[in-house]
Amino acid sequence: MKKSIGEKIFDKFNIIIMAFLCVIFIYPYLNQVAISLNDGADTMLGGITIFPRKFTWVNYEAIIKNQDILRAFVLTALVALIHTGFTVVICLGAAYGAHKKDMPFRNAIIWFLLIPGYIPVGAIPVFILYRHLHLLNNVLVFIIPGMFTFYNMVVIRSYLDGLPDGLEEAAYVEGANEMQILFKIILPLCMPVLATIALWTIVGSWNSWTPTLYYVNDRKLYQLQYVIMQLIKQSETIQKMTTEAAITGTDVSNVQPTSESIKSAAIIFSTLPIVMSYPFLQKYFVKGITVGAVKG
Amino acid sequence: MQSVEKTSAMVRRDRRSVLYRKLNRYKYVYLLMLPAILLTFVLAYLPTLGIVMAFQDYDIIKGIGGSPFVGFDNFIKIFSTPKFLHAIKNTVTYSGVGILFGTWTPIILALLINEITATRFKKLVQTISYLPHFLSWVSVIGILYGIFAINGSFNDIMVAIFGDSYERTNILTDPDNFLGLVFWSNQWKNIGWSSIVYLAAIVGVDQSLYEAATVDGCNKFRQIIHITIPGIFPTIAVLFIMNISGLLASNFEQVFGLQNIFTQEKTEVISTLVYRQGILNGEYSLTTAFGLANGIVSFLLVYTTNLISKKLSGIGLW
Repeated sequence: MKKSIGEKIFDKFNIIIMAFLCVIFIYPYLNQVAISLNDGADTMLGGITIFPRKFTWVNYEAIIKNQDILRAFVLTALVALIHTGFTVVICLGAAYGAHKKDMPFRNAIIWFLLIPGYIPVGAIPVFILYRHLHLLNNVLVFIIPGMFTFYNMVVIRSYLDGLPDGLEEAAYVEGANEMQILFKIILPLCMPVLATIALWTIVGSWNSWTPTLYYVNDRKLYQLQYVIMQLIKQSETIQKMTTEAAITGTDVSNVQPTSESIKSAAIIFSTLPIVMSYPFLQKYFVKGITVGAVKG
Repeated sequence: MQSVEKTSAMVRRDRRSVLYRKLNRYKYVYLLMLPAILLTFVLAYLPTLGIVMAFQDYDIIKGIGGSPFVGFDNFIKIFSTPKFLHAIKNTVTYSGVGILFGTWTPIILALLINEITATRFKKLVQTISYLPHFLSWVSVIGILYGIFAINGSFNDIMVAIFGDSYERTNILTDPDNFLGLVFWSNQWKNIGWSSIVYLAAIVGVDQSLYEAATVDGCNKFRQIIHITIPGIFPTIAVLFIMNISGLLASNFEQVFGLQNIFTQEKTEVISTLVYRQGILNGEYSLTTAFGLANGIVSFLLVYTTNLISKKLSGIGLW
């Protein structure tokens, strides 16, 4: 089929637009990478785009040696792994039950799990509850909430429903019990969807910082993104102080702002696990969303 | 042959034994569902008891049991306090603009991506467009501060376009820019990811319809309007309903992150106000009432939108 001239022009135009968009998506990130690899004093002069002008590893050295950042990095990583492990197991368990159409009271249980999503609660009652449960200033506040979500269950269940019929029934007739069916037959088959859930959960956990904001004030328990957030906000505070000081004439020379470059190094550092694993795991991230959206 | 008639007692006995057999078969599966049930009960049902706080003058020492009941006083207070009303206005504005202008941008992106013929370039564009979605809002905020800094790329570009007379400013410090920042940063972060669902829907449209249209002399643009869009309409409708329910919600991480000392006062939204007044200032009753009102209206929004959509097109969330 021959394309009209109009369509050929459109195709070229489209490529240009897409390329332009790609630049917009990537440039800001590369900009930060460049700043992070650039000498701090030189960065203050401005004008850095995607290449460092005065290359140095010094900023990353400072970040890695910083106790707060290091501790938060390890804590966040461990929490992410533990939280994800439990989440996958619990959501799979619920999905397996939801998938068994023959199981008595199945529908009642599903309704029970679904309803809370539609009841408006608000942040404060949750806060008070956590207080009663001693989850405040407790590392469990990063792990336990969110271990079960109805959405995850629906995604896994849709996948299970899509497996060949009769597999489980045939095994049952052969004398296997439900647990054996789950571990020996279903589990190996649903690895792809479990991988997707695991990836979404681990990224969510890695990027999370609002629980720290709401429920934690012990510095030793800060999540990594929260520490980074403080770094960013702090330099804005200092900027305001310096601006006001210039007007009022006060001396603020003893205030040490975090240099742009160190801030950038911290930001890039905190994104490394995700950005580095992204190209390899991208397809798993994407597959799940279509299952969830189309069937859920 | 003897006719086998069962008495009702026999039928009941049979049904019971089937039930017991099933319960026995699935006994461990119930156990598998137990963690989810317990978690939901403790973390989702129990807090609903806290809704009572909205009608009390909650004292953290006296607890829910001991705090005095004040009826709708908290609600009256909220709707007569400018701060709260302003937060509602901001929330609706930011979300409204986002829904109005942001619903169709991922659709257009999906349509454009779909038209790319070079497969490797297509995959490259898709991969790159999803990447910002996986960065945390903290990272995105940090990147934004970097770009819009006084000596950052944005100002550099502005000077390059408008010449040296352009005055370098950090647009993040002006409250009037907040709406734009919220909208565009959300687009940057999520347009790629949102387009995935639409792309999947587009691919699902019957290809033979396009072939028939081409034979009839329909050009590509008209094909998109008359075949593709109607074809993916169910997806568009469902996602739109889900978006509308977010009219009274804001992305806390995004708004809180973007706010700074220069902009905070004028740009409060419901969720950040609840955080500041509630968690930080301890005004639990007031903010619970605020959150409750918020939640109820959101629910009504979804319910109504779903109803309207079903009446008009038969498509709905449930």
